[in-house]
Amino acid sequence: MKCLLPCNGLDKCAGLVSGQAAVELSQQDDFELICPVLLNQNKSPYEKILAQGDLVVIDGCNTRCASKLAQSLDLKIKDKYNVSDVAKSMDLKLGKDLAVNETTKAVQKALVEKLTQTEDKKEASTFEMTTIDYDSFMEGKFVFKVPKQGFFFNENDCWVYVSGNSARIGVSDYVQQNLSDILYYDPPEIDDEIEQFDDCGSIESGKAVFEIIAPVSGRVTAVNEALQDSPEWINESPYERGWLVEIALTDEVTEDLEILHDGSSYFEYLKKKVAQDV
Amino acid sequence: MSESTFMGVDREKIDWCPTIDYSKCNDCMDCVEFCPHQVFEVREDQTPKLIVKNPNNCVVFCRACSKTCGLDALSFPDKTETTKKIKATRKAEKAKKEAGE
Repeated sequence: MKCLLPCNGLDKCAGLVSGQAAVELSQQDDFELICPVLLNQNKSPYEKILAQGDLVVIDGCNTRCASKLAQSLDLKIKDKYNVSDVAKSMDLKLGKDLAVNETTKAVQKALVEKLTQTEDKKEASTFEMTTIDYDSFMEGKFVFKVPKQGFFFNENDCWVYVSGNSARIGVSDYVQQNLSDILYYDPPEIDDEIEQFDDCGSIESGKAVFEIIAPVSGRVTAVNEALQDSPEWINESPYERGWLVEIALTDEVTEDLEILHDGSSYFEYLKKKVAQDV
Repeated sequence: MSESTFMGVDREKIDWCPTIDYSKCNDCMDCVEFCPHQVFEVREDQTPKLIVKNPNNCVVFCRACSKTCGLDALSFPDKTETTKKIKATRKAEKAKKEAGE
């Protein structure tokens, strides 16, 4: 069962679509509706369904009121959608007019379809990483770890670990320390073709949304499904259990790697960066 | 403070910072509150109140401020184009350096 928490923002078209999509879905057996206003006032009417089902958040826009509400109540978000992003992906623009029109209907329909899609079972990853040796330094009360070998980094603090023709991507210790508790991982789609420095998903904490900037080009072959239930692994183990994406590399990998930092170079870069932040 | 280079290229040579769409911005200042790099400046009693003051402080490829903007009033240059330019500048500078040596 899925518990739907729309933002239901009344003064914005995208907010209205979130509410209407949730109401439409709640007519089906598998969905329960949560009113954000009542939830904000009192969690207890929803405690039973929240204990039984997965929480799915539908934000209207990037203000992310519904996500922030869930986070403030310590509710674990299993999946989330953003009406404005859905509209953008369809090349549609939700105007200021609050009335239902062809555009709002199309976005609502697409959103409902996304939410009712049954997920394909993904194949388990067979990627292997060797034992990792770390270097670390301390700044204030924070310890920053950087793997000594095998990893390459861009200056957006995302890493890549290459093994044969495939690679794993993740974020460095710096990102997870900055974001603090990571509450949600939004992965890219399998088979997405990604250029170097493109986004390949995002991670989100109460503080901010961080776009994962791909250190190398490639095609997405797997995402770390375990992070849907345990996004805190990115905090606990950013270079190992908290990996984000696996990709099949392209022929340009050598050229891509040339402009990245290796472990020791990133370690020095990070030291300077952290010192500047203080 | 801004980094002086990004991926080995002078930051000043990279065109990457937010553009504010004033027809959408409602001066909520969520972006200002979010950005730790002083890219924006708030000018009380002036129009527009919000400006991009320090474009070179903006972290290349970071678009996190736009993710805080409920009105979608912040936009950034095309990433693929920016990447191409960075790579081309690196190559040109490397060739120049080699020719000089």
